[in-house]
Amino acid sequence: MSIAKVILTLIPFAWTIGGISFANRTRPFVLGVPFLMFWMLAGILLAFICLMVMYKLDTDRQKH
Amino acid sequence: MSNPTIALIIIAIFIVGSAAVGIAPGLRQKLSFEQWAVGGRNFGRAMNWFILAGEIYTAFAFMGAAGWAYSKGAPVFYALGYGCLAYIVGYYLLPAMSPIGRRFGLMTQADLVEHIYDSRVLGVLTAFIGVCFMLPYLQLQLMGLGLIIETCSYGVIPRTTAMIIAFGLVATFVSISGLKGVAATAIIKDIVMIVAVVYFGVYLPVHYFGSYGGLFEAVEKAKPGLLMLPGATKNMDVSWMMSTVALTSLGFYMWPHLTANSFSARNPDVLKHNAVFLPLYQICLLFPILIGFTALLVIQPALKTPDMAFMMLVQKTFPGWALGMVGGAGALACMIPAADLLLATSMVFTRNVYGRTAGTNTAPATMAKLTKGVVLFLAVIALMLCIFSPGMLVNLLLTGYSGVSQFFPLLVLGVFWRRANKVGAFCGLAVGEFLVFYTMLNKMDPLPVAGMNLNAGFLALVANMIVFVVVSLLMAPQRSESVYMTAHPVEK
Repeated sequence: MSIAKVILTLIPFAWTIGGISFANRTRPFVLGVPFLMFWMLAGILLAFICLMVMYKLDTDRQKH
Repeated sequence: MSNPTIALIIIAIFIVGSAAVGIAPGLRQKLSFEQWAVGGRNFGRAMNWFILAGEIYTAFAFMGAAGWAYSKGAPVFYALGYGCLAYIVGYYLLPAMSPIGRRFGLMTQADLVEHIYDSRVLGVLTAFIGVCFMLPYLQLQLMGLGLIIETCSYGVIPRTTAMIIAFGLVATFVSISGLKGVAATAIIKDIVMIVAVVYFGVYLPVHYFGSYGGLFEAVEKAKPGLLMLPGATKNMDVSWMMSTVALTSLGFYMWPHLTANSFSARNPDVLKHNAVFLPLYQICLLFPILIGFTALLVIQPALKTPDMAFMMLVQKTFPGWALGMVGGAGALACMIPAADLLLATSMVFTRNVYGRTAGTNTAPATMAKLTKGVVLFLAVIALMLCIFSPGMLVNLLLTGYSGVSQFFPLLVLGVFWRRANKVGAFCGLAVGEFLVFYTMLNKMDPLPVAGMNLNAGFLALVANMIVFVVVSLLMAPQRSESVYMTAHPVEK
């Protein structure tokens, strides 16, 4: 497993689990929702992006 | 027409319509056992998507997320977090498991465990534990269904009648069409469900508060502190949420029926591709949460059953057709996961418990017939439990997620770690399950440790993992190379 994939795997876990300790606050509201809720929603997008890059790396490697 | 009549007609259309769609694949062609059990291992991206995604939007997510927002506040945000992390686990695990299943003709999670460790005892044990946790989960779906239909028909259909009719239909289409029927109905369910939650989730907060910002300003004013941890609870704090997201994300793909679903994929790329996009689906959970917070301010006096918040708010705001929509969507959200659970439970019970103990000499054809019979048998058992003893399995239910999560080392290390050993697997599983039962039955969840409130299942998993690794390292390697190589073809 490449280092890039390990990092891409760990980022969403760090954000969504580790980040809770910094993100547990009500304000500021972002996009109309409380900060903690925004943080968790952003984590979903971050996971999607990381998975997409991982998938791209995997399929590129298979082609070569 | 009166409100109850309209609601009733809509619910009936949804239930009967989806049952018809579920029966169709089995009537159109004669299905082989492999087609019935794992869809002939030929599901492409779309079918596989609906069968995996269908498991997120159970009635529990639909009603439960609104209910948690209503009763607990900020702790509900954990539900937004675990899914996307679970798909990262799935991105690695599912494409590795699926080829092993194809190559060695495996159909269930217990098949896989037995094969990886070359241990019948471990296979039977995994099967037995899996059935113990799936049966209460099945009962939960059934009871949710009864409640939803009773409420949404304005009490015209009593819950027992609703459960018998809907479950009779589910058992019929599962025994005829198997996984193909589940996949076909899952498509309808997901579309109905998404339309319903997005519509009501956008409309209701805006209708009452003008905007999402307005809703949350009002919530913060009425109940200061509700929107950050621990919300309305005493001990669901930051450490609770961190350990709970960790446990549920690692445990998600340990549900035995999801292993069978991964075996249905045409190739590993289908599973990888879907894992990339499944996190986006998780965003839909936002809407029931918004509805729950809206209900908190709008519905007075407070509800005795917080899980009813969604339906009560719709009933208060809209005429009968809307409640019919919610009732129909909610009923499907119970029926389709129940169908998948029913299929997996009967497979695991017949193949891995009966077939590997008392019935080792049963012919494959008899076994196939037996499995389809067990589907009906288990449906009746679940119904009886709901009607005569709704509270009996409550303790098992509480342990469900924590309980299946203890399979994590067994499956993940089993697939990815050459030194994983059956003795280590057995010891780890025994320690994990013991701790889960001990802490849950003594009501020690969340467990206070050093000033933190940790999810008890998470602690059990950590202990399980340590025991698994240490014992495996002490034993001589015993793994079959062919299993490892099937999971990791690139490294050949």
